[in-house]
Amino acid sequence: MRALSFVLCCGAALATTLPARGSDDDAALRAEAERFFEQRIRPLLSEHCFECHGAKKQQGGLRLDGAEGLAKGTDSGPVVVAGKPDQSRLLEVLRYAPGDVQMPPKGKLADDDVAAVVRWIQMGADFPGAAKRQAGGGDASGPGMAGGAQGHWAFQPVQRPVPPEVANVSLPLAPIDRFIVAKLEASELKPASPADRRTLIRRLSFDLTGLPPSFEDVEAFASDPSPDAYVRLVDRLLASPAYGERWARYWLDVARYADTKGYLFEEDRNYAQAYTYRDWVIRAFNDDLPYDRFIQLQLAADRLTSDADAQHQAAMGFLTLGRRFLNNRHDIIDDRIDVVTRGLLGLTVTCARCHDHKYDPIPTADYYSLYGVFDSSDEPREGGHPLRLVDAPNPREPRIFLRGSHRNRGEQVPRQFLAVLAGDERRPFTDGSGRLELARAIADPANPLTARVLVNRVWRWHFGRGLVETPSDFGLRSDPPTHPGLLDWLAAEFVGVESRGSRVESQHSSTVERRPGSDPQPSTLNPQPLPWSLKRLHRAIVLSAVYQQSSLRPSSTLHPPSSPATPGDADSEPNLDFENRLLSHFPRRRLDFEAQRDALLAAAGRLDRTMYGPSVKIAEPPFPPRRSVYAFIDRQNLPGVFRAFDFAAPDVHSPGRFTTTVPQQALFLLNSPFAIEQAHFLANRPEVPAARSPAEQVQVLYRLAYGREPETEELSLAIAFLESTNATSPTSGEAHPNALPPLVQLAQVLLGSNEFVYID
Amino acid sequence: MLRASGVGFGWLAAASLLAEQATADVRPASEDADPLAPRQPDFPARAKRVIFLFMKGGPSHVDTFDYKPKLQADDGKPLPFDKPRVQFAPTGNLLRSPWKFRPYGESGILVSELFPHVAQHVDDLCIMNSVHGTNAAHGGALLKLHTGSDTFVRPSMGSWVTYGLGTENRNLPGFLTICPTLAHGGVKNWGAAFLPAHYQGTPMGVASAPSSQARVKFIANGRLSRDEQRRQLDLLAAMNRDHLAQTGPHQALEARLNSFELAFRMQMAMPEAEDLSRESAATHKLYGLDDPVTADFGRQCLLARRFAERGVRFVQVTHSDTNVQWDQHSQLKEGHEKNSREVDKPIAGLLADLKSRGLLDDTLVLWGGEFGRTPTAQGKDGRDHNPYGFTMWLAGGRSKAGIRYGATDDYGYYAAENKIHIHDLHATLLAFLGLDHERLTYRYAGRDFRLTDVHGDVVRDIMT
Repeated sequence: MRALSFVLCCGAALATTLPARGSDDDAALRAEAERFFEQRIRPLLSEHCFECHGAKKQQGGLRLDGAEGLAKGTDSGPVVVAGKPDQSRLLEVLRYAPGDVQMPPKGKLADDDVAAVVRWIQMGADFPGAAKRQAGGGDASGPGMAGGAQGHWAFQPVQRPVPPEVANVSLPLAPIDRFIVAKLEASELKPASPADRRTLIRRLSFDLTGLPPSFEDVEAFASDPSPDAYVRLVDRLLASPAYGERWARYWLDVARYADTKGYLFEEDRNYAQAYTYRDWVIRAFNDDLPYDRFIQLQLAADRLTSDADAQHQAAMGFLTLGRRFLNNRHDIIDDRIDVVTRGLLGLTVTCARCHDHKYDPIPTADYYSLYGVFDSSDEPREGGHPLRLVDAPNPREPRIFLRGSHRNRGEQVPRQFLAVLAGDERRPFTDGSGRLELARAIADPANPLTARVLVNRVWRWHFGRGLVETPSDFGLRSDPPTHPGLLDWLAAEFVGVESRGSRVESQHSSTVERRPGSDPQPSTLNPQPLPWSLKRLHRAIVLSAVYQQSSLRPSSTLHPPSSPATPGDADSEPNLDFENRLLSHFPRRRLDFEAQRDALLAAAGRLDRTMYGPSVKIAEPPFPPRRSVYAFIDRQNLPGVFRAFDFAAPDVHSPGRFTTTVPQQALFLLNSPFAIEQAHFLANRPEVPAARSPAEQVQVLYRLAYGREPETEELSLAIAFLESTNATSPTSGEAHPNALPPLVQLAQVLLGSNEFVYID
Repeated sequence: MLRASGVGFGWLAAASLLAEQATADVRPASEDADPLAPRQPDFPARAKRVIFLFMKGGPSHVDTFDYKPKLQADDGKPLPFDKPRVQFAPTGNLLRSPWKFRPYGESGILVSELFPHVAQHVDDLCIMNSVHGTNAAHGGALLKLHTGSDTFVRPSMGSWVTYGLGTENRNLPGFLTICPTLAHGGVKNWGAAFLPAHYQGTPMGVASAPSSQARVKFIANGRLSRDEQRRQLDLLAAMNRDHLAQTGPHQALEARLNSFELAFRMQMAMPEAEDLSRESAATHKLYGLDDPVTADFGRQCLLARRFAERGVRFVQVTHSDTNVQWDQHSQLKEGHEKNSREVDKPIAGLLADLKSRGLLDDTLVLWGGEFGRTPTAQGKDGRDHNPYGFTMWLAGGRSKAGIRYGATDDYGYYAAENKIHIHDLHATLLAFLGLDHERLTYRYAGRDFRLTDVHGDVVRDIMT
């Protein structure tokens, strides 16, 4: 009601028209005023005034969303006198004087907001237009690029650093190791001793394939006398189809994969063909499809393969399998921009949908440059692969949506790549929608982010933690890498960047002697380096001594302190690196949801290794024993078990998962029909009933669950449990009528133990 | 030292800790400090916990708590001002309320015949007549109300509250939602989104099944007695301790070991909390458990009280069936009478019970739907969705009692005076709990997120 009365009471106000700016010929002053307006005033007006005094409504005839409306004022005249806050009616109503009109009606503005309006009027009450507003923002060398952005480490070209010299000679050191050990030495820490072979094969099997090694595999590896046993194991696991199933699942988190569209009103909520994208990713990993090609196909398979090649068309599920947002086109495109920029570039570009990015040099104009690319890409209505995009016959020229509102269109911008990455050579895209050009710009070896982001993700998936803590945000607010040299070395090696003619030495197993000095070095990764090869990258990482360390924290520091420490220093123990950021030992990790479920099925002898095909619902009985990568992912109502075990929310790109410990996990392992069923199957594998004594049964269970023999104490503990359970269950009045047999109970304990779900 | 190294999740984002706050992106943390430990609020709290009585589908404010004499007078006439640009369905002329209103209590606030029992407590209610949102569809409006965003996936308010304050009873979940609906956003309405899983709501049952069957999933073992399972857990603990002896101190391993004990205690605590047989016949009657019409929702309300008194931080109770319960696009009279009969007595019982136990002092009760309904008719006897102005009410938690705050226009279409946007409601809710909605942040994807995004004004006028 009060909104309506705004102008009715404004008759007394208001002087002339908006005068020209005062003495601010100085461009810097103008720029300052403009920046102030954009930062302080436009948001205020938009938030508190536009609803009633904007494009839609003009209560009292007043419109406050542009210079023209401001100059005109209300039906009774202007509301602002430039340079004179005291004579400006706008200020009077903002001050909420008793008995006077009070604006905004919902509540008085904060004092500092009112003060900002005073200052704006003092500065001339300039109201920059949209085009003018964007002129600064559209140029990444403008204000946004000032300050730290230009020098930000992640935007610098990748240089291949020379691995540092280290003093420690007790380990054979691959280049990766030298980066790690140098840091440890600097902190007076020493690396852990090498892990034993049983630990190593379990670690490596879960890591590369997501599956446990069999007892026989463990025994064979532990007793293999050959010095290249580990290298052969690495190569065997990398060649296993299970490798692709494991690593594809990581990528599906990046790609926010799901089998459903999210909330929709009436249409079918399923993506019936989503699985074809998942299968394509599995094949891509198994085939070691070069990562640059992997990117290009996911963004522009329509341009790179023939229509008939349905398999590669599915790659575009990366773009098209997002939420449908009730079919709101703007939100669908926003989601695609997000998965591409955070997922591939580690940039939070969608922050710039409504305003220039607050921290990174990403102007709103750049967001809409990408928006135009996707806006010019259509989903074929009929025929063709359902996950496919094709270039629209007539590409659409994007306009900036002011404050993110498509009803408020600003300046037109070209479809083009991000200024911060394209630099001076930026040219508008000319080829169709520009999607292929975008894909090529991202997959360009000179792009400083693509390889860094990818090798950091891979490192994180191997070690549980990235060199950069925020895998999908390499912007100005991210923490710098713990090991910048290593990050760049990996990135350079990954894309095949050479420098200074030096290639790095091959170190394939812990038995290879360290060569002193800096010899001419062949490639670590492959005699014939294959650019963008993920398997090469894995190989370099898992063949390093750092990766092969024990997970036990080394007991002492490298050197005793060289000088007597002050008591305060001693108390603070600065070098202990409790978080193990410096990797003085291998970080013990918990199996994620998929690996844990697959391991349960494997121990139960149930795992169905069928590959590919339509997704299966795993949360309801009868529980299909397929690998978890084939699970049906309902993003609208993700079953509780996924959420309890930290599965990545499939609604948006996921930078990485949590590892939480919540009682719902324990309840699942103790009480769920699935967990009990697997315990039952484990206890009834043919080897168990065939064993002749309880001791042998326990031994068999240990082999099947842990891939090892039980220790003597463990044996007696388990036997005691079986005997006591046998003794009580059948006779005790408390026993459940349908009680689980003792061996099943024991099997369930083994499957729920820390040893089962942690990798050393 | 170890605790310090685990700074990150679970710490209230007080300004001094902001810098240390972990990024959601990655930290494998939350394995160190206890993420659900009770935490001090930013400033003295009025309420310690929340019970949210959610009326799914959109109860009509002009037929319940927002009496509009002009609507009664102008029945059948056109609305004298514009309808919103975005409407869910076309509506016709004004439709008077088929129910009579009369004043109740010392405050004399008018309540319709639909809520005769709740009306007896009107002097304890803080009726917010000027709530408004933006989304006219159930899905969007539910998400907006529960998470603050109808577009993006965000943590629900119960998750934010548990993130901010932890929980007072580790043997029960900190955030429980009883008989939630799986439609219209479903699990997202109690999901933690980018917050760690500690803060997600734990559902008990679903809206489509009787509340007598509502249980936390996997809370009981169908194959082992408690003693048998205890023996099994003793073995597990022994093995985990042996393992720990070999690895050396390791917080995550210890936390997981302890989580089984916690789960076991939860298995005992939940049935105890759910066991309504311990309540007197008088209490059963108070909540309407003796009447088949009110028994189902009465049970949910009584459960809510039992959880609240056991220290659960956020309890949501949902009134819905397999349909969209309060969604009377037609047959307003029949539908709303059925619905209100089912909830009126149980809600009144809950208010009376909380009060007599002294729990109303520090328990904030929130009542309402995802939107209200239009004063104009849909078809001949229905009302359409109306997010532009509707009513929710508060009770307890040191909210101002016996008042109406804000107002819609003369016909009840738009919020007009002292408007309370959903963001303002959220900001206010957190303020009741002692949390500053601008400081309760979580770093994710390069920025700090809030329940209120960049919006929200605390409505101080409704707080004592």
